[in-house]
Amino acid sequence: MDYYDLAARLVGRGRRLGADEVEVFIQSSRNLSIRVRNGDIETIQESDSGGVGFRVLVNGSMGFSHSNDFNDRALTDTLQRAIAFAELTTPDENNTLPYDLPYTEVEGLYDPAIAKVAMDKKIDMALELEALAMKDARITHSSGSSFGEGETEVIIANSRGMLKSYKSSACSVGVSIVAEKDDQRHTGWESSVRRYFEDLEPLDKIANSAAKKAWEMLDPQMVRTQRAAVIFDPAVARSLLGGIIAAINGERVLQGASFLQDKMDERFASELLTIIDDGTRPRGLGSKPFDGEGVPVSKRTLVEEGVLRGFLYNTYAANRAGTESTGTHNLYVKAGKHNPQDIIANTNRGILLKGVTGYGINPVNGNYSGGATGFWIENGKIIHPVQGLTIAGSADDILNQIDMMGNDLDMNRSFTSPTFRIREMQIGGA
Amino acid sequence: MGTNLFEKRLLPRRKFLEYGLKSGIAIAVTPPLLTNLFSCSGSAMRVGPGLDMDKATLDRVIAKALSQGGDFADVYLENRNSRQIVMEESSFKSGLYGISQGAGVRVISGDKTGYAYTEEITEENLMRAATIASYVARNGKQIQPVNIETAQRKTFNTVKQPLEAIADSRRIEIMERANQAALDYDPRIRMALIEYNDQVRARVMATSEGVYLRDELPLLFFIVQTMSDDGNNRHMSRERISAHSGFELFEKETPEGVAQRASREAIAMLDAEDAPAGMMDVVMENGWGGVLIHEAVGHPLEADNIAKGIGAFTGKMGQKVATDVFTMVDDGTIPNFRGTIDFDDEGTQAQRNVLIDKGVLKGYMTDILSAKQLDLPRTGNGRRESFRHFPIPRMTNTFIEPGKDLPEDILRDTKKGLYVQSLSGGSVNPVTGVFNFTCREAYLIENGHKTQPVKGATLIGSCMGVISNIDAVGNDLDFGPGICGKGQMAEVTAGQPTVRIRGINVGGSRA
Repeated sequence: MDYYDLAARLVGRGRRLGADEVEVFIQSSRNLSIRVRNGDIETIQESDSGGVGFRVLVNGSMGFSHSNDFNDRALTDTLQRAIAFAELTTPDENNTLPYDLPYTEVEGLYDPAIAKVAMDKKIDMALELEALAMKDARITHSSGSSFGEGETEVIIANSRGMLKSYKSSACSVGVSIVAEKDDQRHTGWESSVRRYFEDLEPLDKIANSAAKKAWEMLDPQMVRTQRAAVIFDPAVARSLLGGIIAAINGERVLQGASFLQDKMDERFASELLTIIDDGTRPRGLGSKPFDGEGVPVSKRTLVEEGVLRGFLYNTYAANRAGTESTGTHNLYVKAGKHNPQDIIANTNRGILLKGVTGYGINPVNGNYSGGATGFWIENGKIIHPVQGLTIAGSADDILNQIDMMGNDLDMNRSFTSPTFRIREMQIGGA
Repeated sequence: MGTNLFEKRLLPRRKFLEYGLKSGIAIAVTPPLLTNLFSCSGSAMRVGPGLDMDKATLDRVIAKALSQGGDFADVYLENRNSRQIVMEESSFKSGLYGISQGAGVRVISGDKTGYAYTEEITEENLMRAATIASYVARNGKQIQPVNIETAQRKTFNTVKQPLEAIADSRRIEIMERANQAALDYDPRIRMALIEYNDQVRARVMATSEGVYLRDELPLLFFIVQTMSDDGNNRHMSRERISAHSGFELFEKETPEGVAQRASREAIAMLDAEDAPAGMMDVVMENGWGGVLIHEAVGHPLEADNIAKGIGAFTGKMGQKVATDVFTMVDDGTIPNFRGTIDFDDEGTQAQRNVLIDKGVLKGYMTDILSAKQLDLPRTGNGRRESFRHFPIPRMTNTFIEPGKDLPEDILRDTKKGLYVQSLSGGSVNPVTGVFNFTCREAYLIENGHKTQPVKGATLIGSCMGVISNIDAVGNDLDFGPGICGKGQMAEVTAGQPTVRIRGINVGGSRA
């Protein structure tokens, strides 16, 4: 089906049905998921799917609808539902659709080679990865290994003259295993997710990382409740970053529901913290040419050496705030100068965090509390694993105490960060 | 693997649209954030023409699915019509209407599962899905499918005011009433976020065992969050109601009542101070607190990880795993409850399953595959989020049975600790049994009394630890609705009477 053509036609149809403005969002995807366990296939799942989403404006009120039925009558019916729904919502002069601004293609979002790799080769990769991860004698069970791929085409058209699309792909290979010793069980997993098949990491590297995560946690010891340094590994840095991202969401700020709402151009964190939004990196997992409204992405500094420099706005929130939509977003923390090993060596007493649970920083009031697993450090050396601990504090306290920033930024993750250290936090234990 | 997010997120509108359509990219093994966002947005209804596929055609599809071999095959057809209306800052920000339909074909061969789905329900597409799904059964043993006939199942859901017959203006009115009640509660309530969701899911299933079933499940989900602000502190509270029911739900539970309960929490927590850190006794109030048991004990009792030999309760059937006062049940038959789906998405009749009886492990929750692997009965827990997923063992309405203690006695007998009035949600690793929860509303206990409110602390522990440390169980069983994520979403309730747990690690920000 020619979705490009269909999108343009549906914009016209929406106008004829009585909408003042119409936006049509079409997404079409193909997915494959293979799971193996204990040397044999466990599941194979394959699908083609697609759908149309409508957003309409009627006298300043907004209505949405979506359908995965491309039948012509169903599409008209779905459009009418959106128009009928718009009549119920509250008119707001800030409800507008974006104009079609020029954008730059982002290179390397789509790899046609993924689909051409034979099914048996993909199954073999998952099988080999599992076998490699099970090689270590401490690893007793497999929870499964998998290969996944997906490709998606997005088309956006609106009544302000926009009609554009992009295609993207991703593939992944990963494994999850269990290490056992006496009554203890620990899980470990690792995966590699890339836009291009050729960029997937070597299977032995993924396998070793998964196995290590499981066995290195064996024989944990409890520590007492105390204040000590907390080193965030890149794998868990997201737990702090997520709350900051939610708190600089322009709509939350306008609603008075953000702990950063009054901090524009003020210092709210350590000067070691710089956060950049960049949706343009070639082959980046979070990269795309434009956001869900069709607004081009860009590269911006949101937090500059601890000073808040920008909020994130969609078209509606930008209208309300009297500014421009920023396009959303692929954020990361800028690398610092320290080797992660040096950060550990410079820590007298504290935890190297490998796993955290909970919801991260509460974006409304900045409270933070979570469960913690990792390694205990005394006199600059890791001495044993720890689990069942808690860490807590306020965002203000935690972010201002970042005193070492690592140089180990891995740009192949989304919402990525290097290792960093918080000088002191409350740790709950025995 | 193993993260079960138990939190309703308010999605940005555009995001919802994208995910509602089906997000494209498969991510292996990692905790599937994208699928978590898929969300059970709620949805409403009309039976689509595609579901009228005749039985002879379905028999042909099943025969095709088993043509390479296999022990079992089924076809699942679904049509879901949904509505979501969002009110923020006293304005109706958006209304979303959604139609989603499709059908999936599954083949089980030994321990293997093949699955494929199509969104356009035609015989040709179903045959193609059957061919793809049959791939896993090559060289498997052959069986002869039984021709399908309509099977009889009991229903536990009643509808008095069908959602399809309700004018949208009545939905709007319910939301306005809740908004007004929230703002009237206290001037420090600055904003209410109100989300109304409803859906009608029509499903048809046909299996190689000859079962044919067809029904429609309505589902209402109404969420009020209120934000308080007194110039120093701010708190976002939450209250939810949900049922497989018609619009009559709002006669039993008024929107004003929901909004007032949310507002009470928002105001109470303005005085919250830093929570203490370390091991302490915890009293959990009756109701949604049952989510702790849902996560910490329920997930490890789902039979898929037991069949893999890696679940925390593997090999413990018949053993004493908890204190004598602890009995835990999963019951898919409680009338109109959010977790009551009459029969599961494989056609097995829902039932009451006692999982732990006076501390002794009595049962796992199974789907067809794990029941076969473990040689256990089917318990009616094979559920799926939609036709885009194959069924896996899931909970329905899961709770701790009431005991004999009076809630006030439990509190009075606790000298020092934490009183948890409500939890946001949490997660568990089903292999290790390590869980975590975030408190939404909690107080210090001093000399048997609830005193100072404290900020959202984390509770962590292990499943075996928590059930062997529950030493008091109240007589005041109550429930709360939730969304459970396990790679795919399921609507559930969790419940408990007031209970006391001796010695949980609490993550506060002061010593």
